Amino acid sequence: MKRVLLVLALAATPVAAAIAQERDTTPPEAYFGVTEFHLARIKLERLMQPGGFTVYIIADMEGLAAVVNNSVEMRPSYRGGTPEHERFRQELTDEVNAAIAGARLAGATQFVVNEGHGGTLFRNVLVEQLDPAAILIRGYPKPNVMETGLNPQVDAMFIIGAHANAGTPGIISHNFAFDSFTVNGKPLNEAGIAAFVGGEMGVPLALAAGDNVLTAETREMVGPLETVTVKLAESRSAAAVFSPATVRGWIRQAAGRAVRRVRAGAIKPLVFERPYHVRLCLRGSYEAWVPEEVARLPGLTREGDSRCLTTESQSAEDVVNVLNKIEWIVLKP
Amino acid sequence: MRLAWSLLSCCAAVTLSAQTTYTPPALPKPTGFRVFIVPDMEGMGSAVDIREVIAGTEGEAYKNLTSDDYWHTFRGLLTREVNAVIAGARLAGAGSFVVNEGHGGNLFANVLPWDLDTAAILIRGFPKPLVMITGIDSSVGTLIFTGAHANAGSPGVLAHNFAFDQFTVNGKTLNEVGINALIAGELGIAVSMVSGDDAEIAETRDMLGNGFVGVVTKYAVGRMAAITFSPTRVRRMLHDSAAQAVRRAMRHEFKPLVLDRPYQVEFALRRSYPVRVVAGVDSLAWPGLQKTGERSYHLTTDSARQLGLLLDAIERVVLH
Repeated sequence: MKRVLLVLALAATPVAAAIAQERDTTPPEAYFGVTEFHLARIKLERLMQPGGFTVYIIADMEGLAAVVNNSVEMRPSYRGGTPEHERFRQELTDEVNAAIAGARLAGATQFVVNEGHGGTLFRNVLVEQLDPAAILIRGYPKPNVMETGLNPQVDAMFIIGAHANAGTPGIISHNFAFDSFTVNGKPLNEAGIAAFVGGEMGVPLALAAGDNVLTAETREMVGPLETVTVKLAESRSAAAVFSPATVRGWIRQAAGRAVRRVRAGAIKPLVFERPYHVRLCLRGSYEAWVPEEVARLPGLTREGDSRCLTTESQSAEDVVNVLNKIEWIVLKP
Repeated sequence: MRLAWSLLSCCAAVTLSAQTTYTPPALPKPTGFRVFIVPDMEGMGSAVDIREVIAGTEGEAYKNLTSDDYWHTFRGLLTREVNAVIAGARLAGAGSFVVNEGHGGNLFANVLPWDLDTAAILIRGFPKPLVMITGIDSSVGTLIFTGAHANAGSPGVLAHNFAFDQFTVNGKTLNEVGINALIAGELGIAVSMVSGDDAEIAETRDMLGNGFVGVVTKYAVGRMAAITFSPTRVRRMLHDSAAQAVRRAMRHEFKPLVLDRPYQVEFALRRSYPVRVVAGVDSLAWPGLQKTGERSYHLTTDSARQLGLLLDAIERVVLH
């Protein structure tokens, strides 16, 4: 039953605060045999057709059309949410399909969809309704959660349903387990972190869809890219929302433009100077044991007794792997 | 969690009356080449999480391991996978289909009877003798496993093996497909096709060594995460592979799994099980079963079928 509790706790989105119970520091590998991220990447690479144009789509949910409420809309009933969640799984699937349709019209030939929302343990896309050409990566724990299997054969990354950075007034704004996350002094949100990992492989983030705060900050972080503003935040849980049907049309058009612009070299990978100086500050809402536990991860240096840690790395993938381990610590019971 | 996984492939907590002498009748004679299909769920296309394969009706311990909406979706997908296999087999000339529920979710009642190909005989419910291979007899032409999962300890999606951390016959490690293939092998029946994740297919290839048609439905990236494909794509693979498997089975291209007798069986009960389970297995006083360690056992037997019955008995202990 302990393992059941463990899994239930994992179901918490990064928004949920850690539940302090008897702590168990066993790494996920011991429980689930989580594949190393390198191996996951090799598995995906082997499945992909060489040539053509591949789009890797990260499917998050907070930034979908019409979403405003985390507890009601972003979680299934068995995790304290409501049946409303099912409607938003449909919306997620529809928006991802719209992105695929638009990209395909512009010449994209292959589609990988990676579940990016933890509300249902990364199982949100309706598998029967997703475009049948797409490869879907689902379930949790999986290596490098939002970037599982990402590899240089990918030509462009999209993020659908993205949300704004922690501390901003965007809808359900957050950023993994952090109050702030910077690379070489530059703050990155979850979309930005994806761009960081992809950028190192020469893969640009070409499309981000979410609320006005997300689209503005992402343009600022990663430079020119296609964005779709699906709603205007009034607060972290209220927004002026556009018709979902209209939004899907915008996404379809923006996806096509994104593919064309990547091909024309107008949307570029996000590149940082190496070594990367990464600084992360864990959420202020976490209990004191969290920074202590995180500080034990190899390669991380804690700044005094603070909740901020730094690391230096030559590899963005390795950085995200550390980030993944932090997620595990934080979400574990 | 691991306790729950034992249910997935085998028995559930149901009070069994003392074994009666009732012998179920043989199934109707086949009207053509008979294909025996054992659909499990963990290795199906798209499935990655325990909640997708547990109905919550299996007993107290499973109540909170489900989400209704997910399980209902996946039993529909399961039924369509089986139908795809039947359609492919029919295309290759098969004329008779037996589907034996191999998954303990909802007490071996996952396939939707109304949606299953009408030509199929469906064996559903629990308990049933030789659980995963109930109803097999010499009228069967070939054996197909779908949605199979990798062995306990393997890096596959929802990997487990009955009640065991380890199970060997004559020193050879067997997973669930392997154990059932051995029972069928005694009747001269060979496995012609297996579908499951990449870990399951790779290990079963080594185990059976008969070149069966393997269908990789997904690539595991964790115990509850995988790279998956559209269900339509998986069904097409199952359909085409079943046609190929049946054609080749009709030409006797697959060897049954046969091991030297008497079988030297070694197994270890899961470390995660409470002492109660070990005591329960001890108290079975099963003829020939010797204890070789804290939770490990040795059995010498001439009959894989008898071995199957022992597995049933053990699972009943586990789940009481």
